[in-house]
Amino acid sequence: MAAPCVTRILVATALALGAGLAIGADGTPTGPPMTLKHGPGPSPARLPGGRPNWTGFWVPLGGLLEAYRGPSGVEGVPGGIAVNIPHADPTAPEMKSPYKEELSRMLQSSARGEELSSKEALCFPPGMPKMMVMVYGMEVLQTPNIVAMSSEWQSATRRIWMDLKAHPPEDELEDTYAGHSIGHWEGDVLVVDTVGVRPDVSYFYGMSLPHGKTHVIERFHQTAADVLVDDVTLIDGDVFVKPWVKAYTYHYRPDLRIQEYECLDNNRNVDEQGKSKF
Amino acid sequence: MRSKSFGWIMAALLSCAGVGTASAHHSFAAFDTTRQITLTGVVKEFQWTNPHCWLHLSVANGEGQAEEWQLEALSPNVLGRLGWKKNSVKPGDKVTVLVNPTRDGSRGGALISLTDANGNKIGGRT
Repeated sequence: MAAPCVTRILVATALALGAGLAIGADGTPTGPPMTLKHGPGPSPARLPGGRPNWTGFWVPLGGLLEAYRGPSGVEGVPGGIAVNIPHADPTAPEMKSPYKEELSRMLQSSARGEELSSKEALCFPPGMPKMMVMVYGMEVLQTPNIVAMSSEWQSATRRIWMDLKAHPPEDELEDTYAGHSIGHWEGDVLVVDTVGVRPDVSYFYGMSLPHGKTHVIERFHQTAADVLVDDVTLIDGDVFVKPWVKAYTYHYRPDLRIQEYECLDNNRNVDEQGKSKF
Repeated sequence: MRSKSFGWIMAALLSCAGVGTASAHHSFAAFDTTRQITLTGVVKEFQWTNPHCWLHLSVANGEGQAEEWQLEALSPNVLGRLGWKKNSVKPGDKVTVLVNPTRDGSRGGALISLTDANGNKIGGRT
């Protein structure tokens, strides 16, 4: 189901934008190098001490909010969700038993057009790493010791502790939706290690992280003055045949501000499994 | 070009909303995104709420009797950035809407666009 779905969106976007769409099979924009329309982004903003300062509001490049605004704002990257969706719905990971059987069942169910249960539809926090899809947008607030990233979706915030060198001992680590994140700088790259994500946080087709020992390694870096990339690697030798790699790309949007989104206000048409009903 | 683009992208978005996080919330599987119908009626209620806005519309059936339709829209944070406001439509307003109807035939659907009595589209590109 995933591939046809992505294909459908790519085709729709291609139809919408006419010939010459430059999107690779994995959703990565190809073709001419990006040139910026919105002027200089946060770079060369720097924190005291010289590290990059990404404080501000970012949206998935060409993603949901930009789909309604026509072109993405970056030449060579179309408006629409073609760029965002492959990130939200990446290639299935290679998993070990018994997880691969569970994943296979879910993929087959989805291919039959069956709706999968969804904790997100029940308004649970998105959790890591899926929250980094940042489907509406992400507010970054930085101090030298804390990088806070808030998702407009569900108003969920994660904090990356820059002043810690290690995670708490396993018997003191409390599983949470965002997990426990520690970060350090390698030049202008922010490297983050996250552990302690709740085992019931879904990350792929409703599958949960099988247990709390998965490490989520992220490398945040800018590829242009107003483009931030989060390269994500999931590492868990008990679960994955090989580390599962994906990337999220964000576009700096100083013209927008984060808004509150409280899902429980009027969640009127989902059943107890998070499936839609009418 | 842009409104056409929006329609195509929106159709793909809604048809796939169940598997990604494009909807950010729940699947739109209850709606038949291969079909579009036009309804004209009088606004009974407009709920400017998360996770979705809802428009309750009183529509006359073929026999002239009023029937209530319940139409699901996107969330205030998206609609607001399209130019919608919480009072863009009010009870008593006569409006025309384009919707993806429910699969089960119940009187409801996913709102694609809304035009007021003066022919103005709310939100520009919807």
